[in-house]
Amino acid sequence: MAVFRWGSPLEAFRDMEREMDRVLRTVNQAFEGLRVGRPYPPVNVYELPSEYLLTAELPGVRTEDLELSVVNGQLVLRGQRVEPNDPPPERYRRNERPHGQWERSIPLPERVQEEQMSAEFINGVLTVHLPKTPSAQPRQIPISETNS
Amino acid sequence: MSRENDAQVPAVTEMPPPPPERFVCTPPIDIFDNGEGLVLRADLPGVSGETLELQVQDNKLTLFGRVAQQAPDEARLIHQEYRVGDYLRSFILSEDVAHDRISAKLLNGVLEVTLPRAPQTEPRRIQVKTQ
Repeated sequence: MAVFRWGSPLEAFRDMEREMDRVLRTVNQAFEGLRVGRPYPPVNVYELPSEYLLTAELPGVRTEDLELSVVNGQLVLRGQRVEPNDPPPERYRRNERPHGQWERSIPLPERVQEEQMSAEFINGVLTVHLPKTPSAQPRQIPISETNS
Repeated sequence: MSRENDAQVPAVTEMPPPPPERFVCTPPIDIFDNGEGLVLRADLPGVSGETLELQVQDNKLTLFGRVAQQAPDEARLIHQEYRVGDYLRSFILSEDVAHDRISAKLLNGVLEVTLPRAPQTEPRRIQVKTQ
């Protein structure tokens, strides 16, 4: 980084800006892959001709600690991860897996048959089936023409 | 390794090589001391016992888990917050781990590996003969 430049006194600020960008990029790269400041659990949504599929990775959550409900058109996922024979913190050599309670609500796509919803939880992956209603066909809305 | 191998079937055909574009990620782990040795826990959602390989070679413990596809082929991804990929991570074991007594279990997408400590060899007094 140049210390002094002839001609443009603002050039130093540009250098500093570039330098700050570089530092921030490094920080962002370091946090890539960590779930910091992101909603938990992360979900993916897939669309099939007859239904939507919502998947979430919830390793270590027991089925009895997982609660699914539909409130006001929102799918509410609630649960906790408890560690079996949880050791005291001083016994940890490495700790990368958070545990505790979490809750997340996800607005449902419209026209889902709420009473037909089903879910399965296999190997720590939750899959929620959201069947589409038969009337979910696109409907044309006529536009009336008025000339002023 | 727990996988049972038929003697006639060559080991190579056991598992087809993964397509090169498969995404591989590093699973988060915990390691703690339970008094008798170390316990390792790793988050491997989507991995079943059949698709998990755990291997100890020399002093290196390697875990490789292949994930099952989470949605059918014809499904269209419309919202993505996480990537689905295979899990790979390896660890260097310390000298005092009893390699032959390592055990592992997989429950709800969490792998737990128990690494018992080898019994310390008793210090032996060597008698010095004097004339």
